[in-house]
Amino acid sequence: METQEAIAESTPMETDGQSDSKRGGQNRLVLGPNDSLEGKLTYGGSMTVDGGHAEGEFRVGGNIDIGNGTVVKALLEASNVTIKGEVEGKLTARDKLTLGKQAKLNGDVQVRRLQIEDGASLNGYVRMGEFEQQAPGS
Amino acid sequence: MLGPRDRVIGQIYIEGDLRVGGVVEGEVEVTGDVEIDDMAKVKASLAGRDVTIRGHVNGAVVARKRLVVAKSGSLYGDVRVARLAIQDGATFSGKVSMGAGAATAPPVKAVEAPTPVPEPEPKAATEVEKPAAPIVAVPIVAAPKITPPAIIKTAAPAPVAELRVAGKDGKGKPVAAPIKGKPNKKKRR
Repeated sequence: METQEAIAESTPMETDGQSDSKRGGQNRLVLGPNDSLEGKLTYGGSMTVDGGHAEGEFRVGGNIDIGNGTVVKALLEASNVTIKGEVEGKLTARDKLTLGKQAKLNGDVQVRRLQIEDGASLNGYVRMGEFEQQAPGS
Repeated sequence: MLGPRDRVIGQIYIEGDLRVGGVVEGEVEVTGDVEIDDMAKVKASLAGRDVTIRGHVNGAVVARKRLVVAKSGSLYGDVRVARLAIQDGATFSGKVSMGAGAATAPPVKAVEAPTPVPEPEPKAATEVEKPAAPIVAVPIVAAPKITPPAIIKTAAPAPVAELRVAGKDGKGKPVAAPIKGKPNKKKRR
């Protein structure tokens, strides 16, 4: 089911390839339970991992959502990051990081804003404040 | 309860709950819950069961149960907690250690974390020259602020004499430092 959703959402956008970053969150890559992604991803849109397998380095222009029960081992960089599952790796949120009740995060975090719901678990260094811009492609 | 105009510099140990509205510098250990109000400025290590921060805190925090940093709160320091909630709008920087074991362990870090000490001499001097057990932790915060002569007057005569000798051997200042915490403590608690 998730896979279909992914196709439905991202196919129409694929045509105007280059303008991804302008459109920000409109492009969405969804990894469903049967999907797997390993490696380095640089993407202008947003990304959702919900049940799929994801490992590597993901830098996206939009947002990253990690669904409930999903385990992700990756370096993450995005505008907004919302975690409801488990993440292991360094994380950068240019705007806001949200950890849901069930979330587990192991890794250092750099964010502008941070919201942690009671019940979430976090281990690592947190740096907060105005974000120093890094070249997204590096 | 420490009101907005109250001020504590030194070590506090409280059986029960503590609510801080003013300025606290040093080390705070509370068996119950700790609440840091909006206007409070805390430059201290905090240890408690439930810790709620709405004001400004600079120092390590150990919460045996739960730490909450509210919208208006800001926390700079390492944190060991069982549960953690940070509300949107809060500011936080530091290392977070969570999990079953993390919070129950004694606050080892508490002693070193709140060290805004400009000169490291006081520590070294007191530790080496004196087995001054109860005083050791105090100079951490106490050292910078009050002038030595004032303290010597207020403090009890006996320990002063002893310490003074020791201090003259090494440095004048470190001597004064450890004593300073005491009078303060008496007044406030």
